[in-house]
Formats: sequence, C-alpha cells, structure tokens
Amino acid sequence: MQSPPLHDPVRDLWVVPIRHHSPACAAQLERLIAAVNPAAIVVEGPCDFDPLIPLLCDPRTRAPVAVVALREAARDGATRRVASYFPFCAHSPELIALQAAASRGIPARFIDLPATARAMVDEDDAAQGRSLLGDERPFDVGDYVTALARELGCRDGNEVWDQVFETRLTDADWRGFFADVGQYCACIRAATDVVRIARDGTLVRETQMRALVAEVRAQVAGPIIVVVGGFHATALLAQGSGSAVKPEDTAGRCYLIRYGMRQLDAMAGYGAGLPMPGFYDRLWHARDSGGRALAVEIVTGFARHLRQSGGDAPSFPVVTGAIEQAERLAALRGRPFPARDDILDAIRSTFIKEEVVGDDAPLLVALRTWLTGAAIGEVPPGSGAPPLVDAVRARARALGFTVADGERRNRTLDIYRKDRHRAASRFCHAMVLIGADFAQRTAGPDFRNDAMLDRLFEIWDVCWSPLVEARLIELSEAADTLDEALAFALAHKLAALEAQGKGRSALAAIDLFAAACRAGLGKGGEAILQLVEAHVVEDPELHSVVSALADLVQVWRGRDILGITDTTVLDSLMATAWRRILVLLPELADCATEQVRAGLTALADLRGVIALARSCAAPLDLALFDEALARLAAADLDPLLAGGVLAFALIDGQGSPQALQGRLRGELASGHVDPAERLALLGGVIAVARELLWSLPEIIATLNDVIAGADEAQFVDLLPHLRLALMPLDPREVDRLGEDVAAMIGARPDHVSMLIAIPQAEMMANLALDRELAAVLDRDGVA
Amino acid sequence: MTPEPQSIRPPAEARYASELATLAAADRFPKPAGWRLSPRAVRTFLLGDPRQGIARKFYGDDPLVDRAIVSLMSQQGLMLVGEPGTAKSLLSELLAAAICGTSALVVQGSAGTTEDHIRYGWNYALLLSEGPSERALVPSPVLNAMRSGRIVRFEEVTRCPPEVQDALISILSEKALALPELGADAMASATPGFNVIATANLRDRGVHEMSSALKRRFNFETVHPIADPEFERELVLKQLAERLGPAGVTIKGEREVADVLVRTFQDLRTGRTAEGVSLNRPDAVMSTAEAVNVLHAAALEAVYLDNGTLSGAHIARQIQGVVLKDSPDDGKRLRAYVDHVVKERAGRSGAWKEFYQAARALRLG
Repeated sequence: MQSPPLHDPVRDLWVVPIRHHSPACAAQLERLIAAVNPAAIVVEGPCDFDPLIPLLCDPRTRAPVAVVALREAARDGATRRVASYFPFCAHSPELIALQAAASRGIPARFIDLPATARAMVDEDDAAQGRSLLGDERPFDVGDYVTALARELGCRDGNEVWDQVFETRLTDADWRGFFADVGQYCACIRAATDVVRIARDGTLVRETQMRALVAEVRAQVAGPIIVVVGGFHATALLAQGSGSAVKPEDTAGRCYLIRYGMRQLDAMAGYGAGLPMPGFYDRLWHARDSGGRALAVEIVTGFARHLRQSGGDAPSFPVVTGAIEQAERLAALRGRPFPARDDILDAIRSTFIKEEVVGDDAPLLVALRTWLTGAAIGEVPPGSGAPPLVDAVRARARALGFTVADGERRNRTLDIYRKDRHRAASRFCHAMVLIGADFAQRTAGPDFRNDAMLDRLFEIWDVCWSPLVEARLIELSEAADTLDEALAFALAHKLAALEAQGKGRSALAAIDLFAAACRAGLGKGGEAILQLVEAHVVEDPELHSVVSALADLVQVWRGRDILGITDTTVLDSLMATAWRRILVLLPELADCATEQVRAGLTALADLRGVIALARSCAAPLDLALFDEALARLAAADLDPLLAGGVLAFALIDGQGSPQALQGRLRGELASGHVDPAERLALLGGVIAVARELLWSLPEIIATLNDVIAGADEAQFVDLLPHLRLALMPLDPREVDRLGEDVAAMIGARPDHVSMLIAIPQAEMMANLALDRELAAVLDRDGVA
Repeated sequence: MTPEPQSIRPPAEARYASELATLAAADRFPKPAGWRLSPRAVRTFLLGDPRQGIARKFYGDDPLVDRAIVSLMSQQGLMLVGEPGTAKSLLSELLAAAICGTSALVVQGSAGTTEDHIRYGWNYALLLSEGPSERALVPSPVLNAMRSGRIVRFEEVTRCPPEVQDALISILSEKALALPELGADAMASATPGFNVIATANLRDRGVHEMSSALKRRFNFETVHPIADPEFERELVLKQLAERLGPAGVTIKGEREVADVLVRTFQDLRTGRTAEGVSLNRPDAVMSTAEAVNVLHAAALEAVYLDNGTLSGAHIARQIQGVVLKDSPDDGKRLRAYVDHVVKERAGRSGAWKEFYQAARALRLG
C-alpha cells in the first residue's frame, strides 16, 4: 500500500496524518511547521469550537484540558442533555498545531462537523462522557494491526505503535516519519469494514473537512497545514466540493474545562488516544534527552512513589537492575530507547519477588495507576466557565476542599462542634444530590435511620475530578448557584419518580426531601414543597406514609445539627403526612387479605412514630388520632388486624382490658377449623404491643385456660401457630413468660427449665453424630 | 554430547541441533560474553521463525521470553514460578540449550538434596589416597557451570530444605565459590556466561519457603497456563502428533476430541465455564501437559484396543486418572461437572455425547 503524499503541490496543502495524543506526532509536527512555515493551520475537530481557540492558546492554559460540548439527545421520547468531550493534553498534536498558529499569528480553524451533528455522536450510543476524538479502535484491534504485531513480536497494537513511531520522537526526518504514519493508517483503513466506515459518519465528516479546507484555501495564500487523524489523510487529499455545514446557534454549547489524566486514560476505553497518558507525558518531556533518560526517570520515580506511599520500597540494586533490564529489553526488541512495554516489563521482572497469581499483581496495578497520573489541567480565569462552576468551585475552596488536582482524599468532618465542618458536610451532601461525583460518605451518624448516632465525625471520600465540573456545566443551563442547582436536581428527581413507578410514593418523595435537608436546602425548600406534598397526599399506602412521617420526625429531631432554623416547610410536610395517615387509617378496615400483614406492620411502625414525635415534641396534632383509631376499631376487622387495633386502643387509653380479654378468649376458643385463625388476634396484639403480656395478666390467663382445656390432638394442632404468634418475643421474654405461666399453674418456676442428665457414652455418641452432620453439611456447602 | 540412540527423550540441544546450528550460522547480532547465540537468536529459537525454518517451542507469552532472556544477561538469576505443568522446565531447558549449548547441567531439587549437590563432593577413594586435591574433587553442576561459563538449571528449588537452598545465595552474589580444602586461597570464580535458571512451585504441597535473601538474587517470572482454548487445542494436537509420529501411529477424529478435552481442562482449571457457570475447582493440576498425557493415552487406547478412531469416550476413561490424584473430593467435583455442564453440551456434538455417556459410567466416588 502506497503512503498518501504529504504535500499537494497544486493547492500547496500539507495533509499531516497524526494519532491523537501521540508525543512523537507532536514533536514531528513541530519540526514540520518550522520547516513549512505555513500561512494557516487547520485541525480536525468540531468547527463550533473555533471561538475557544484563543482560550486554548492562552499562556495560562495548562493541559490536560477538554472542550465539553452539550447537546440535547432524544431518547425514548424524552430529551436529555448529553455531554461529549474533546480532550487535549500537552502532547496532543492538535494543541501543538493551534499553539504554533497563535505564536506565528496565522489563522487556525477546526474543520470537522459541529459537535452537535448527528454524525459526530452515534445516537444509539448516547452515553454520557463520549469522546469526540473519533474511534481509534482500529489502532488496537483489526487484522492488519494483529498481523503486524505478530510480525514484529509485539503483544498488541499499542506496542506496535510505540515501536514503530514513538521511538522516532527525536528523529530529524519528519518527512519519513509522516510518510510512515500515513501508510500505516492507510493500511488500517484498507483493512476496515467499508460498511462500518459508511455507517459511523466517517464519510460525512470527511466531506465537511474537505469543504472547509477548500474554504480556507480560497481565503489564504501560502502553504496550509491540515492536521488530521491518519485515518482521514487520504480522503482529505481529494478536492473539496459543496458547502460546509455551519454550526447552529441553538444546537448546543461548548466550554473549555480542566481535564484530568485519569479521564484521558478512561477515554482510551472508548478507543481514543493512548492509554496511561502519564507515561506519554513523561516521554514528551524527555524528548530533548532523546528518550534515553526516560527509563531512569520512570523507574526511580516509581520507586520514590512506592516509598512515599508507604509500600515496600525497592532497594537500590533492584532499581538499577530494573533500569538495566529495560535498556536490555529495548536492545533485544530493536528499539533505540526503552518504550512503554520495556519499562513495564523491566519493573515486572525485577520488583516482584513472588508468583503473580491471576491476571495482575498489586504492584502492577499501582504502576499503571501511577503511570496514568492524577494531574489536572488549568484554564484561564474567566474562560467562559458558567457562573455555577465558578460559584461551586469558590465554595469548595472556601470550605477547605482541594480543587487543584484530581487526587482522591479523605476528609473527616467534626459536624457536632465545628460550624465550618457542618457546612462542608452539607456541601458534600448537596454535591451527591445534584449528581456531581465529588464526594462519597464512608462513615458518620445516620439521622434518618437513627443509626450510628454515637459517631461524632463524618468521613468523606472526595475527589475534584474534571467530571465534577462537567456535571456542573450541564446543570449551569438551569442554575447559577448551588442552591438553585439543588432545587433543580430535586425537582427533576421528583418528576422522575413517576417514570420509576414511584409516582405516588410518599416515602420516595420524603426520602429526597430528607436528603435535601441534609444538603442544607435553604430557601429552595419552599419551591419543592408543593411537589413533595403532591406525592404525600396521593399515596394510597399507609405503611409508606408512616415511614415517610418517621423520616420527617427524624429530620425534625436532628434539625439543629442539620442547620434548619426555619421549620415552616418541615412543619407543613409533617402536618400533611399526618393528615394523610389519619385518612388512610380507617381505610385499613377494607384492605385485602394479603395486605393485612403490611397493615399490621404499619400500625406497629405508627406506634413507634407517635412515641418518637411525643419524645421530641414534634408539632403533630395527636388528638385527631384517637378519633381515627376509634373509627377503625368500630369496623369489622380481620382478627390479626383487630388484635393490633385493640392493643393500640388499649395503650392509647381507649379500650378496656376486659374487652380485649373477652375478644381473645372468644377467638382462641372459637370454632375456626384452622388453628391459625384462632391465634391471629393474639398475634396482632403481640405485634403492636407485646408489653401487654406483662401488664395485662388476663392475656396469659386466657391463653392458659384455652390450652389447659385442649386435648392432646388439639394442642398439637395449636402449637406451631402459638409459636408463630409468640415469635416477636426475645429469649428473656420467653423465659419470663414461662415463669409467669409456671406461677399461674402452681408449678415451681425453677422446674420450668430443668437439667436432664445424659450418660457420658450417649453424649459422646451424640457429639460424634453432630460432627458427622457438620461434615455432611460442610461438604454439601450448606453449613 | 551425543545422545544414546535409544534415549526416550534426548535433551533440547540434541533435538534441535540443526536449528541451533542454523541460528548460529546466521547470527549477526552481538553476543554477550560466554553466550553461544545472541539474545535475538535465542528469542527466535524459542518463539520460532518460519523463514529460517525455526519452529516455535514456547507458546502463550512472548514478552515473558524476552524478559527471561534479558534477566539471564543480568547479575540476577532467573526464577520461573507457576502452577505445575506450565512448561517451566521446558522453558529453562530451551534457554540453557540456546544460550550455552547444553541443558544438562541440572540440579534436580528434592527433599534429599544436600549442599554437596550445589557446591562439590569428593571422590572418597582419591580423597583417602591423595588427600584433598583438584582430582579428588567432584564438582556439582553448579560448580561446573561456574567454571565453564554456562547456565545451570536448578529444578524444583522449593522442594529442597531452606538451608540447602541458601547455599545458592553467596554463589549468586559473589559469583565465586570458596574451596577451602584445596588451600586457604582456593576459590572457583564464575566465568562470563554463568547464570542460574531455577524453577519453583510456590503453591504445591510439600514445598518449602524461600528466604528473602535468596528471592532478592532472582528475577521472578510467572508462567501462566495457556488461556486461549483454540491455541491450547492446537498445541495439544501438535504435541500428540510429535508423540505418535515416531511410533508410526495414525489416528482419526482427534480434532473434535481435543476440543472437548481442552475445554474440559480450561473449565476445571479456572473454575468457570465459557458460559459463565461457576464450578468447584479440583485440587488436581489440570495443566496443558496433563491434557497432552490424557490425549496421548486415549489415542493409544483407540489405536491398540479399539478401531483407531478417537472418541469422547476414550478421553472420559483417561481423564479420571488425572483428576483422581490429590483429593477424594475431586471425583465428586468431576461428577458434578459431568452432570451439569457436560450433560448440557451432550446435545451439541457427538464427541461431547460420547464423553458424557462414558463419564457417567465412571466410578468417581
């Protein structure tokens, strides 16, 4: 296969084939630009990014940075905002080209379709965080690359690329270099499925690029340099025709944001760019030393990193051994200096002194992470970042969070004693709620579930990755401050509950509200009050509303820590939920048989909520409850539910013990065929208020009478259901019940539990049997 | 060294004498001191080059071969670790044959290995008649390799008691061995080209720990089982042909059966089938080498006791000999595999069906 000519003398066009993020391409491009002395430079990249070129070339811009493009994507009938990224690192040939144009004072442009064009992002693949760099998978897979790897003795396409191109970083022959890149990419293209090329938008994009090149050609006299992915080089040499697609003003927006090495590496998963960008960054910086110092720098740097991170630091001989190994591997594989895989192999050989089990050793994982790097770029102040990004960044800084790099850190917050820490905690909660992946709580008191309240500190895992800013940019269309963003995200989530089938769930809505309270939702609370209330008043499930009220009372109880000074919204919501409960309570009488258990659980929970509300003086109008309960008690209820209601009424001071006793006796001795039905009432009583067993001796007496009157067969029938009804009791309560019954029937309480003497031989036999059984269970994996 | 004509398995340098000669003749790259071939030629010898008529001898991990060759050029010894049957010994034999022309300098480590096997012993008749002398000294393979600048192979290092292993430490760091019986200053110094390739099993039963001091003197390379089933099948078939060829035996139906065998081995080795079903892994080693043994035995049964066509039933009968070695529970694990996984596949092809039916009839405990 012929390599495409680098220069078209007729149009004085230099079509330079590159691979994204390749340091060698960047270095050779610098040489080419110096030699050609162009009148204009155009670069593959969405043409609606043109306004950002001055920012990209600003001296205060420090790579890695990315242009994030937002657009509306339609999916399943709904539109949602999708972000795609066009990343640049220090050694991106595209960035080198743009910077060279800026320093020479010549025009520079992007020539690809606008980022919002359909061909740029596959609609089927409307995943978040897509790369706009185009597909580079052919560099890693495909028959041509596989065959070449086999021929050269390389393990994959990446090693082939490193061996053939990255090692020529310092080679003065830029013509030869780009001729080879062109040929390599032409071969890859020739081996790529034609149908795929037609389908994935490649051809449409090339038409656009040709048209824009023609446009620039018409405007500028003198040589023009066209920097494109090698895949497109041949296509761009053809004459352009037709007019270019212009970016639409309303279609989307784009911003220059700080980007991180880790995200660059993750993008490699989408097939754009080289993996482990930290390595290539070092290669780029070692270009003046001819790459020879690279192995030394990386091996010693990694050893230092291990030492600093408290791992097993390698000794000096190991470090020198690794460097020597890398040099020798490079020599064996015919490379002028150790490439990426030589250095990785050398460290693997020398640092690890044990068997590598599975696919990976922890040390190799650490090495790859280190070579990926954690650096984050910088964009000039006021570089058009939306106000929300600036506001949140300023707030994070003021609260003592590091936003300068993408390192993961732990932050311990003393939320009870320090106001600033409380504010930081709220900030973290808010970031969680708006979906910016900034913070994760790893430990701390849980006010909502009333758990771990003895913990004094909250521990957060925080990381200001570029994706945080990207999410803020998405939200910036709707909000300028964090509070607004919070209210927006909350309203969005409330609306989304419908789609998740939780359209009328008080619990789900209050769950969100409680999260918003933890996030310090101030004035925004009023805005969403109606939305939340709408969910509460429509919820048909008593247990859901009861749980929601329990949440609200917990929030009320923790209101000082949560910093809620104005409780108007909270009060209003509690009142709404309470009213809804009073409406739903009498309706329990009509519930279907299979919902009786859930109703009983709701009753038991309700009792807990009322106790909690009393204990913390929550503003609930408890007087209304008696009325609702009386209405329920008057109805003809399922025995299980009736037991619960009777017990509830009794502890509420409404019913009489005699009424309960009479009903219980009637049920236990009733003519129900199924013994379960006879015991249902008792079960209901115990589920809601088991302390009645002790405070009302009549219950046990009634139970005792019934059992005493049963014959053997009846007792055996009754027994399992009796056990089921008494199941909520804990062992101490069971003992107490036994003693009470013993006292009642005149048995000596100490005879209730007796010691049965077993001969030693029998015990030994039993133990042996036990061991055998354990072995059988163990063998069958059910132990 | 000329192998005996009736030798069952001649050493690598004899088996591949012509390839080594071809490589030496064409070798234009620089050779490290004491090496017969350049590192690149050694690489070609192991990984093959059809243009020079060199066959590939080591499969599955080319970068490992590079690293091993380069380690042998350094001050460090080379330690090959990994599960049994992953061709560690083959790799060490091939490397030694290519680098120094002989793979015969071997210490075969065992519980009974003593320091004499690593340092030197004596011809006691001469010792008694002449006193300690160079003539009475019986050098170990290690001492031989040091003096002649060649590679010594130390098989199964971890089977030796730790105090015996440690005799290697000073040899590897000083590259010299004191011979005090021959005089106060008597010393055997290693000449260029000397190095040690050790193989070890770190997880097997009945092995010893290795001291950190010894570990530091080696570069470790883990040899993994072959992960690609297609590739393993080709390898197994190739080795079967090599074993059957000299006996003039031909066999039919081996491709399909090898596929069944390799998939079974891969499933049991990894504890997970290609379909994602998880299994109880047998304790027994399910290596490629064992797969070749099974296929070879099955082929012999088919040829000499049956109609000459290999079937799934033949390997089912042979496979129990591999699996039922270490633990009585392994039989149950194989039984479960047959009952669940093989049964599913029995509907797909004849070989799987034969395998299933024959395996059902086995007494697997």
